[in-house]
Amino acid sequence: MLLLQLLVNGLVTGCALGVVAFSFSLVYSTTKIFHVAHAGVYTLAGYLAWSLARAGMPDIVGLIVVPVVCAGFGVVIQRLLYDPLAQRRATHLVVLIASLGLLAIVQNAIAVLWSPDILHFDSTWRVQTIKLVGVTLNYAQIATVVVSVALYGATLFATRHTGIGKRIRAVASNPFLAELTRLHPRRTYAMVMALASALVAVPGMLVGFDLGLQPYTGTTVLLTGTVAVIAGGVGSLTGAFLVSIVVTVLQNLSLLVMPGQWSVGITFLIFVAFMLVRPRGLFAAA
Amino acid sequence: MEYFYSYLILASIFVVLGLATNLLVGIAGIFSVSQAAIFGVGAYVTAYCLVNEVMGFLPAVACAAGACLLLNIVITLPALRVAGDYFVVTSFGIQLLATAAFLNWNGATGGASGMAAIPPADLFGYAIEDTGSMLLLCVAAMLLCCLAFYLAMNSPYGRLLRAIREDELAVAASGKPVIPAKAAAAALAGVFGGVAGSLYATFLSFIDPSSFDLNASVLLLSMVVVGGARTLAGSIIGPFVLLALPQVLTMVEIPSTMAAGVRQGLYGALLIAFMLFRPQGLAGQKL
Repeated sequence: MLLLQLLVNGLVTGCALGVVAFSFSLVYSTTKIFHVAHAGVYTLAGYLAWSLARAGMPDIVGLIVVPVVCAGFGVVIQRLLYDPLAQRRATHLVVLIASLGLLAIVQNAIAVLWSPDILHFDSTWRVQTIKLVGVTLNYAQIATVVVSVALYGATLFATRHTGIGKRIRAVASNPFLAELTRLHPRRTYAMVMALASALVAVPGMLVGFDLGLQPYTGTTVLLTGTVAVIAGGVGSLTGAFLVSIVVTVLQNLSLLVMPGQWSVGITFLIFVAFMLVRPRGLFAAA
Repeated sequence: MEYFYSYLILASIFVVLGLATNLLVGIAGIFSVSQAAIFGVGAYVTAYCLVNEVMGFLPAVACAAGACLLLNIVITLPALRVAGDYFVVTSFGIQLLATAAFLNWNGATGGASGMAAIPPADLFGYAIEDTGSMLLLCVAAMLLCCLAFYLAMNSPYGRLLRAIREDELAVAASGKPVIPAKAAAAALAGVFGGVAGSLYATFLSFIDPSSFDLNASVLLLSMVVVGGARTLAGSIIGPFVLLALPQVLTMVEIPSTMAAGVRQGLYGALLIAFMLFRPQGLAGQKL
């Protein structure tokens, strides 16, 4: 039953990672910014929820309020950092370094303001477990799967069938033409940042419920997510979500043959090898 | 005085590292956040050789430089094939992979507790034990590396690298060897990283994985950005300024548990401020 348990654990982590991956993909394919600071938003969300919980709010309040706050944070990032850089015609490298700087600020501010050590939520609902065909799951894990899949479905629907979603895709495919047809790329970028930041806040909290919060782990999560984005084909939400699940399931299964602290390293080793052989990713057009 | 000496020693070691980062990021235009990993490999190879008495200091430095040279070419290989952001992920990935290896390969690296009691450097049988002569050694190494950097950048090869950054396709079309040139830049940066690692390990006589993590790579990037990309002066100014920063911070009263976070956060703020208001750094050219 160990195999099944690992499989399910991988699935749970993969769902959370999938949301990180496709929200990053949303930003990346629209604004073309390699938004490393996304990991900062992810981490911040968990800590905000923790503080709300400490202030006596039930966890559900955090789940609703924090994404709104993070959406605002996303807009601020776009307006105060990426927009000015774009107006200055900064090169890709400059934007990336700025984003990396923001990530360093957010992570270290969290370590200073909250704690550099691991924090756990006080609530008890999240550790209650149920057993299903020999697999033990806690409520936080179940919530992770349900909410993540729901977010994935909702985002997929929104990008395909709503006005905003179509506008985002139009700007992504041709910003110049979008400008001409008065789709306001800059406003759209801010919208995408808001949406993606709200989305990434949710796994930030859900994983926190399950495993606790640490200031610096977000970087690894985001990078594993970007691996999934690239391997799944840039711009494909489904690709990013599914490959995320595949990656984490494989990482969990690898526990059968080697100690856990190597799994992240091995993931990137495979990715580097993969990049050498197939630099364009699995599904991207040649 | 001792304190000031060790600041100068660390700064000159980081100048060597800054040159490596500047060469890759500034001049060749290969984004890299894995230079701290190379630095770490240099330090660990030297420490391993010296602690286990495999060889003397100079051969150990040569080994470290050789290992880093090869390794840097290997990890930069993806950049020769994939452009832009895919390599960014690869570079981050290599840094995380290296950190995992430093932390978990207990047999060779001592794991999280690191390696202690690394013997001091020695040159031709003369042990360099006091800080003063270590300073001389490090400054000499720094000057040597600066000279190498200066000569390389003012040679036709330096112009070739700059041309590649500006327009790779045009360079390739005019029949210039693009890939060997990039590989050579990675090799030179690797040698710098290896030498810096050797000096670092023998100076501190203790190394652990936290000196070679992603934060260290970000610090290196900040040094190049603050000092100024693409110039020799920039690579020298950056480390001296940024390493002085923690000393200034000690004058402000902050609890020691917060000091590391405040310092790292400040480096991040510097990165953003320079990117927004002065992308060319204190003494560099436009990035």
